[in-house]
Amino acid sequence: MLAPINESVMITEIALDDFLPIFISSSLVLVFGAVYAIVFTFVKVGALKPWLMPFGYLGWVLTAYCLYLMGSLMHVGEFTQKALIVTMIGYLFLPHAIYYMVDKVHQENEH
Amino acid sequence: MASNHLTGVGSESKQLATWYFTFAAIIFGAQLVFGVVAAIQYVMPGFLFEIVDFSVARMIHINALVVWMVFAMFGAVYWLLPDETGIETVGIKIGKLLFWVFAAAIVVVVLVYLLVQVGPATESTIWLIHEGREYIEAPRWADFGIVVVALGFVFNLFATGMKGKQTGIITVLMADMLAFAGLYLAGMFFTDNISVDQFWWWWVIHLWVEATWEVYVGSLAAYGLITMIGAHRKTVEMWLWIEVAMLFGSGILGLGHHYFWIGTPEYWWEIGALFSALEPLPLVAMFIHVLYDWGKTQGAETEKGNPASVIKNKPAFTWFVLNAFGNFLGAGIWGFFHTLPQVNLYTHGTQFTSAHGHLAFFGAYATILIGMMYLAVQGTNGIKVLKSTKSSLAATWMITGGVMGMGIALTIAGYVQVLVSRAQMGATWAGYFDGQSGMWFSQAMDWRLFMGVITLIGFVFLAKDLLSIGKATHHER
Repeated sequence: MLAPINESVMITEIALDDFLPIFISSSLVLVFGAVYAIVFTFVKVGALKPWLMPFGYLGWVLTAYCLYLMGSLMHVGEFTQKALIVTMIGYLFLPHAIYYMVDKVHQENEH
Repeated sequence: MASNHLTGVGSESKQLATWYFTFAAIIFGAQLVFGVVAAIQYVMPGFLFEIVDFSVARMIHINALVVWMVFAMFGAVYWLLPDETGIETVGIKIGKLLFWVFAAAIVVVVLVYLLVQVGPATESTIWLIHEGREYIEAPRWADFGIVVVALGFVFNLFATGMKGKQTGIITVLMADMLAFAGLYLAGMFFTDNISVDQFWWWWVIHLWVEATWEVYVGSLAAYGLITMIGAHRKTVEMWLWIEVAMLFGSGILGLGHHYFWIGTPEYWWEIGALFSALEPLPLVAMFIHVLYDWGKTQGAETEKGNPASVIKNKPAFTWFVLNAFGNFLGAGIWGFFHTLPQVNLYTHGTQFTSAHGHLAFFGAYATILIGMMYLAVQGTNGIKVLKSTKSSLAATWMITGGVMGMGIALTIAGYVQVLVSRAQMGATWAGYFDGQSGMWFSQAMDWRLFMGVITLIGFVFLAKDLLSIGKATHHER
């Protein structure tokens, strides 16, 4: 076993059985994150039907869950926990903000 | 003379761009050949023993990677400069001279790598053979040559940008390429402390690939969207500025994830964790960017009763879309896998890193640079709408599938190393060998070799296509 590192960031070693869930959940963080961004953007530009929008937000919920699972299994420190929570809240608004800015620029150029 | 991407003939800058692309493609081929040699050596360790040892094959493989991308990047800038500024590149004769200086230096460096290989480990080795820093191993005499070439390139870019029209794309490129060239200096001096050496070396590698090169890719994507699908410049350039802010905002301090275990202070764990977690966000933004502009432009045309595709260069656009996806997959997902220090403690230096390296360099950079080569083919042949050929499709599928296959095989190998070499056996010498001798690791290396060969065959199709697609008769002229 690796020697324990007694620092606030590295609290506990990772259990052997937890590596696979960590790698899968961290991948799914970005996969579901992309689903949220893609569905949101496509519904907004009219490439997907509006009733699909809840599936986009479901993507964000799953992203948040996978990030929580990943962080828990990794035993991340207090600072990283806070950083991940802020990141997830920020990510909920990010596609909205980017779309708003792009759409405004588009409208300015069309009208 | 001024030019646009559809009429590259007559522009000296675009002619120079095609030289850069041609040399880049040759080095790309060399990179793949030596990659396959190194992959064979994992399966058959005696292959080319004491002729081209693994250390030499790997050195050429990863240095050729950087060199062909730098050549293609310079080429892409020379290609788009006349379109963006509306004038011929200023100082083009210097640019042409420096191309030959650069190409000749690279040929000599590669010959020394192959024929001399190692030196007496004195100061002369650093000056004449290689510096021993991964990815940027060029000997110091070549370093100075590269600085001169880069200064000439930056002069061409700045002189043209200041004299001609200053678009958002050109403004971003001017700032970005200055940083790109300047960062190379951080990898040129020698220190006898390995931690200090690594500290500065990462300035070159990380701040290139996760900051300046990503911004460069954003600029190329912006140019590509304008030229290939007629996206609105103001929208595209506003996106570019957002991406620049996000990429630099997360990428610069994301440097921390390379400082976890090299002897730097432990506060880098938290800085690295925070900014690394943010690094995928601009990649998502770039992904939305491409989808948005494609969807909006195609939708607007369809509303006008013109359902035909708005894409003016199918192979190039395919590679640009692969870039948006591959950047997210290779740099984003495979990077996020092991970017937090808690898990990086186990994955650092395993084949996980190699899997991430393969997928990220391919997804983030190779794809869009290949796309730029297709734009150059379209321009030099005066084609209005360039359509794919069977070779285009074969190249796309085989190269993409091959690199994906290598990435998956290396990930499996890395997973074995994490469990056996690190978690179970505590990163010991015995653990290192136990991890490498297991069945899963061995089979993963077999599959990596197979997928590497597929990638190389795909490259042959790509080279054939780039040389012949301009002569095909099914394009709109």
